[in-house]
Amino acid sequence: MTAATTVDPAAVRRAVEGVPDPELPPVTIGMLGMVHDLDVATDGTVRVELLPTFSGCPATEMIERDVVDAVRAVDGVQQVTVRFRFDPPWTPERIDATGRERLREFGIAPPGGPVPSPRPEGRTSLPLLVAPSAAAAAGPAADPRPCPFCGSDATIRDSEYGPTPCRDLRFCEACQQPFEAFKTF
Amino acid sequence: MSTVTVPLPDLTTPRAQVLLAIADDALISGHRASHWTGVAPSLEEDLAFSTIAQDGISHADLWYRVLLDGAGHDGDLRAGVDALGLGREVDAYRHAIVCERPPRDFAYTLARHWVHVHVEARRLDALAGSTDAEVAALATKLRHELRYHLAHADHWFDRLTTGDEPARDRFRAALAAVLPESLGRFEPAVGEDEVVAAGLFPVGHVALRGHWLEAAAPRLERAGFADLVPGADTLVADAAAGGRTGRHTEDFTQDVWPEMTALYRAHPDARW
Repeated sequence: MTAATTVDPAAVRRAVEGVPDPELPPVTIGMLGMVHDLDVATDGTVRVELLPTFSGCPATEMIERDVVDAVRAVDGVQQVTVRFRFDPPWTPERIDATGRERLREFGIAPPGGPVPSPRPEGRTSLPLLVAPSAAAAAGPAADPRPCPFCGSDATIRDSEYGPTPCRDLRFCEACQQPFEAFKTF
Repeated sequence: MSTVTVPLPDLTTPRAQVLLAIADDALISGHRASHWTGVAPSLEEDLAFSTIAQDGISHADLWYRVLLDGAGHDGDLRAGVDALGLGREVDAYRHAIVCERPPRDFAYTLARHWVHVHVEARRLDALAGSTDAEVAALATKLRHELRYHLAHADHWFDRLTTGDEPARDRFRAALAAVLPESLGRFEPAVGEDEVVAAGLFPVGHVALRGHWLEAAAPRLERAGFADLVPGADTLVADAAAGGRTGRHTEDFTQDVWPEMTALYRAHPDARW
C-alpha cells in the first residue's frame, strides 16, 4: 500500500502548456511554443525546459514560478525544476495557429507571415490628420504585418520600440488604427 | 544594516574577467540609457531608450548567469546574479569608462549608442563562435535581437549626418567627443589572451577594434567625417583608459554606482 502515485506525463504537459503568458494572458506558453522538453522521473521529479521568446523578457521569472505551481498540482509530482535555454533559439514559427489568432484578437500582429483576418463589413475610415511617411516603413527589416483589426496590408512601422521590449509600433492606413506587432526574434 | 554574504565563485579567472567585461558594458550602458525614461525628446525615443535600458540590464543579467553556471555556482542563482550586478565594490566593475559617462545631450547619447551597438554586434558575432556552448547560444540569440538596436542607431546616424547644419554640427561634435573615449571598449580583460586562445572568446577585444572599424570607418567617411576615424595607432583617451582593470571615474564612483546599488546596499536580502 506504499506504492508512489505514478505521474501521468500527459497531465504534466497539459499543466505546463496551459500556463498563460503574464503579459498576454489570452496566450499560453504552449501556444507560443516555449516548451522545449519535459521529463518525468519515476520518483516524481519533473524537469521542464523552456525557450524564452526573447532573451530579456522580464516575465520569465513569473513564468517559471507559474510553471512550478501548475506542475506541483499534478497528482504524484514531488519536485519541479524549470530551466530556460537559448539553444535551440525560439523562433516565431513556433507559435501555433491558436496562439497566432489569440494574439491578433488581442490587437497584436503576430510574427512570421500574414494572418487571415477579413475586413469587417461597412467599417469606415477616420480622417487622416498627419500623412504617415512611407520612409518610416522602410529600413533594413521592414517586416510588414497586416492590421490585426481590419486585415489591411496598408500598414507601416512607426517605431522599432513599443510598450514592451518584445513589441513594436505600427499604424494602419486603411482603418487609421495604431497597433502593436510582436517582434521577429 | 543587515548584510548577506552571497558565496561567489573566483572572479579573478580570465573567463570571469571577460564575462564581467561583457556583462558590465551592458549593465552600465543600460543604466545610463534609463536616464532618458520620461525625458527623451519624443515619445518614440522615450520608448526606445527605455527598451534599450531594459535590454541592456537583462543582457547583463544573462551574462552573469553564464558566468555563475560555468563556474559551478550551486547557490541561489538570483541571489548570485544580484550580488554580481549590484554587490561589488566600484573597482570590481570591468566596463569601459565611456559607458559610465552621463548622457549629456541627445546628440552625445546617439553618438555613443551608435558606437556601442556596432561594437556589440561585432563582439556577439565573435562570441557566437565560442567553444563554450552556453556562451555561443546566448550570443547567437542576442545578436539576432540586436538588429532592432542597429536599425534604430543607423537611422539616427543617417538622419543627423544628412540633416541641416545644426544637426550635423552637433552630431559631429558628439562623435568627436565619443570616439577617442570609445577606444577603451577594446582594452583586453585581465588574462584575456588565455580565453582567446582557448576559443571561449574568439577574436578578443584587441582585434575586435579592426572588425568594428571595417564597418564604422566607411560610414564615417561617407558622412564626411573621415578626420574622425581613429587611426590604427591611436590610443584610447587617457581619461577613459583602464575600465577593464577596474579604474573608473567619478561619473561611476560618485554617480552611477551609488544610485544603481543604493537599494541593494540598504536591503541586500530583498527579493523582487
